[in-house]
Amino acid sequence: MAPLLELHGVTKRFGGLVANKDVSLALEAGEIVGLIGPNGAGKTTLFNCLTGYMHPDEGRIVFGGVDITRARPERVSRLGMARTWQLVRTFGRMTALENVVCGALAHTNRIGVARARALRLLDFTGLASREDVPAATLTLADKKRLEIARALATEPRLLLLDEAMSGLTPTETAAAVDLVRRIHAELGLTLCVVEHVMEVVMPLSGRVVVLDYGEKIAEGTPAEVVRNEQVIKAYLGAHYRGRD
Amino acid sequence: MIGVLLGLAYPIPLQVAGYTYFQTVGFLVLLNAMLGVGWNVIGGWAGQFDFGPQVSFAIGAYVAAILFVHLGCNPWLGMLAGVVVAMLVCALVTYPLTRLRGHYFAISTVAVWMIAQPIGATWEFINGSRGLFIPMQTGQGALGALASLQFAGRTKALGYYYVAFALLAVTLVLARLVERGKLGFYFRAIRDDQEGAEGIGIDSRLYKVCARSITAGVFAAGGVLYGFWALAVFPDQVLDLNWSTLPTMATVVGGIGRLWGPVLGAAILIPISQIMSTTLGTGPLAGRGIDLIVYGLVIVVIAALRPTGILSLPWGRWTRRLARRG
Repeated sequence: MAPLLELHGVTKRFGGLVANKDVSLALEAGEIVGLIGPNGAGKTTLFNCLTGYMHPDEGRIVFGGVDITRARPERVSRLGMARTWQLVRTFGRMTALENVVCGALAHTNRIGVARARALRLLDFTGLASREDVPAATLTLADKKRLEIARALATEPRLLLLDEAMSGLTPTETAAAVDLVRRIHAELGLTLCVVEHVMEVVMPLSGRVVVLDYGEKIAEGTPAEVVRNEQVIKAYLGAHYRGRD
Repeated sequence: MIGVLLGLAYPIPLQVAGYTYFQTVGFLVLLNAMLGVGWNVIGGWAGQFDFGPQVSFAIGAYVAAILFVHLGCNPWLGMLAGVVVAMLVCALVTYPLTRLRGHYFAISTVAVWMIAQPIGATWEFINGSRGLFIPMQTGQGALGALASLQFAGRTKALGYYYVAFALLAVTLVLARLVERGKLGFYFRAIRDDQEGAEGIGIDSRLYKVCARSITAGVFAAGGVLYGFWALAVFPDQVLDLNWSTLPTMATVVGGIGRLWGPVLGAAILIPISQIMSTTLGTGPLAGRGIDLIVYGLVIVVIAALRPTGILSLPWGRWTRRLARRG
């Protein structure tokens, strides 16, 4: 079976700066892929290219057999790719429930149907008690959960999480990791996770892709990647050497 | 509820006493409230400032007037036609504008209005700056007059008051349906975060066009009503900037993004201007735009103290507290 998502030589430039350089990558249905790299490595740019907010200067992106290289965000979403943002983009003046209803309306015109689905997802993400709270007044952890619930409401096949766990307390992080696991196990989604916290991304991901200066410098299981000399030099630091 | 009954009863004692002038003030309140409810769709829910809906107001007025003058078409059918034409024109014009965002979009709506002005003043088909006069053809009896959208003599102000009342009611019902439906959710999503909205499959350009076209439809209906009330359609009158600033201010004062906000705002602002301009009458301050200064003050006070409008104040809590004390 063809991979769910394929990137063929994706290059994105901002003037003289090359944010993504010839990145080729394939995501199989059902896996969790960690995307790591130092600040400015081009992780978020890659997400933006995948989801249609930017278009690569060179290369091709194929999702579920459809070329989405130049597709608009709303089309990518309707094809079944959802995302969250590093800096949350919840609908601040709408309640948590209304936020998720907006996502669920992608597949129905009936508010009642969307509402029922949204309530189930608020329950799934542990936000059931906050349904009537305006999104702007939620805590950061809850906003990130709400974004995930809203993305799930669009019934995606692939979910891209852009630092869904950064800026959270250790307890909140543990809860977020648990949520990601449940999305994978119970909903059967394919996930691509951008994350800085190695302790989070390594045990979670079946496969890790490392970006540095816009280039893919390594790819493999977490155990392989942490032993890769280039990765240690670029990103992990000497203290990671020799650990499993 | 009490407000609706008051609104219905308001012109009756005036009719008995013969003060039809205050019925006309009421008519203008209702007309601007209706326009405000329409403006709220693009401005309040979709969050895009539109300074050019008076173009749709003019299109509505012209379409119905031309159909009436040249073809003898019933004004209510003319209103339907005006609404359809204005919405289509608005959709075609707005789609390219949605490439712009925020202030730039707002400025582009002004530009459309500026382009519309010379067209209105020079296009011979609509009589250019000479305008169109609508001949009086009042139907027989109260129902006949209603069907002809023309009211003669002492019942003129009364008749238009109730027509405006009915149109405002229809507009409120439609606006409520839009607010509670998929469109309302999508409009507010785009207002709160456009990228976020696109990320869950919302075509922001399409829905902005939808929102502005709904606003256009309401303004076109208002324009038809105004044209038949004034018995004439002059380009400088129907394209007057006030047809967007008054409803916009009413919406902001009353409560932007709230269904009843524009109604409350219009009920406060319009009488101020009308009463000021009549009481100052021939005095030394007449015709100096004093009403606009008062408007400015009201806006400044609201913007400084409660930018989300009068309706956003915690009325529920206050009334409960009053009830407990009383």
